[in-house]
Amino acid sequence: MIELHHIWKQYQKPYWALSDVTLQIEDGGFYFITGPSGSGKSTLLRTIFREILPTEGQILVNGVNILKIPDSGIYTLRRTMGIVFQDFRLMFHKTVFENVAVPLQVVGVSHRDIRRRVFGTLQKVNLHQKMWELPAHLSYGEQQRVAIARAVVNNPEIILADEPTGNLDPELAFEIVTLFKEINKQGATVIIGSHDRELIRHFGDNILFLQKGKIVGKEAH
Amino acid sequence: MIEKLKFFLNVTGNNLWQFRTRNIFSVTIICLSFLTVGIFLSLSNNLRATARDLASNMSIAFYLDGGLPADAVEALRRELETPAFVDGVSLVTPEEALERFRANFPDLADIVAGLKGNPFPPALELRVNAKASASREVIAFVEGIKARPGVTDVLFNQDWVEKMHGFSRLAGAIGAFLGGILILTSFFIISNVVKLNVFARKNEIEILRLVGATNLFIRLPFWLEGITLGLLGSLLSLGLLFVVIRLFPAYLGASLGALQEMLRFRYPDLTQALALLAGGAATGFIGSATSVSKFLKV
Repeated sequence: MIELHHIWKQYQKPYWALSDVTLQIEDGGFYFITGPSGSGKSTLLRTIFREILPTEGQILVNGVNILKIPDSGIYTLRRTMGIVFQDFRLMFHKTVFENVAVPLQVVGVSHRDIRRRVFGTLQKVNLHQKMWELPAHLSYGEQQRVAIARAVVNNPEIILADEPTGNLDPELAFEIVTLFKEINKQGATVIIGSHDRELIRHFGDNILFLQKGKIVGKEAH
Repeated sequence: MIEKLKFFLNVTGNNLWQFRTRNIFSVTIICLSFLTVGIFLSLSNNLRATARDLASNMSIAFYLDGGLPADAVEALRRELETPAFVDGVSLVTPEEALERFRANFPDLADIVAGLKGNPFPPALELRVNAKASASREVIAFVEGIKARPGVTDVLFNQDWVEKMHGFSRLAGAIGAFLGGILILTSFFIISNVVKLNVFARKNEIEILRLVGATNLFIRLPFWLEGITLGLLGSLLSLGLLFVVIRLFPAYLGASLGALQEMLRFRYPDLTQALALLAGGAATGFIGSATSVSKFLKV
């Protein structure tokens, strides 16, 4: 479970990117965080994987206050999470296989297991036939699927996706969120930051509405 | 463990290949720096060896008054044998000295034949062991004996030994100074090359951080890159040094005349060669580690 208690974040005075955000994310849930541009969606997601520190407040992941983890130990938190970005953040000089293998290499998985698990994950996102290609040779939708494969290859408990469909056309966006939904069915908690109303209407089990850094509404279906 | 090592070596190899142009430049600078150190080290080796040769053949001759009684000569001989740095003492009679002169300078035989009597004084010749040859203890001892009644003069080639030691120290100092500057340059070049590599791989480092890589996992390939660049540079410099040592006498040796002996290069011994390699690796590692810790906030 992820718990945020009275989270405040200020980048620059007098604006608050997050104002007194308190919420609970249940294990195995499928969540959308939505709101207009600048409402604080990305800031909220980035505080959860501790890319940025809140100005005030407390974040507990499975009961551990992640703000108390020293910088040198932050990797332990990140290994429990898979992160997907709007700009994919792929290594363009490495093949699809090499990109997806990275989270396994950092935890010291053997070469044989890496091959097996990367191939299996690429099959799930239907990219196994392109695993020796460079990402630059793939379409945007395929590149985003590589990023998703990289996020899930390590079977993380939590998947955080910041505008994962922002660069994709509606059809591809639908396909990508379907993929997230399948991953969620296998047990992972999925939190997606998005302002795509159509997608949210179709897939949103739990929706959190953000405006000017405040939670202004919650919906659960 | 072996698999991990293979993984990191593979990553390092790929990274070195990816930015090969700047890495080749960096290796060249390191090579030239260590070659400079190596050349002066080799010169210094030669001068030190020459000084050692001189010292090992060194003897001190105390010329005595011809009228000195035999028991006084014998007492002085026994006294000369006392210090630990003395390997042996022998008495050279005027007759033996004359014989030596005849043998060493046959061209001057006519002059010797024309002499009335024997002009050579008796002498006590003292062999000093090589380690103590130019030490202050020996010099003080010689000065003490020289002042004794019955000792008319002293022949002591200490100056040459000291000069050779001095040249050797000078060559070593020049090598250390020039080499130091160049190694410092190498250090900054490696540091900057690694910094450029860090910037070029900023995106990759960011991704590694996000997927839970440890600081060591991110830094290790950069450290290995620095060590590899340093090792390659110093290894290449050793190879070039051997070529220089082989070719120098063939191309320049004869034209140097009397200086040839002093400027002869000697191969570095195994310890020195290993020290050069270790120096290269250390320069690479420190340059890279400094850059990584400064520009890679993980």
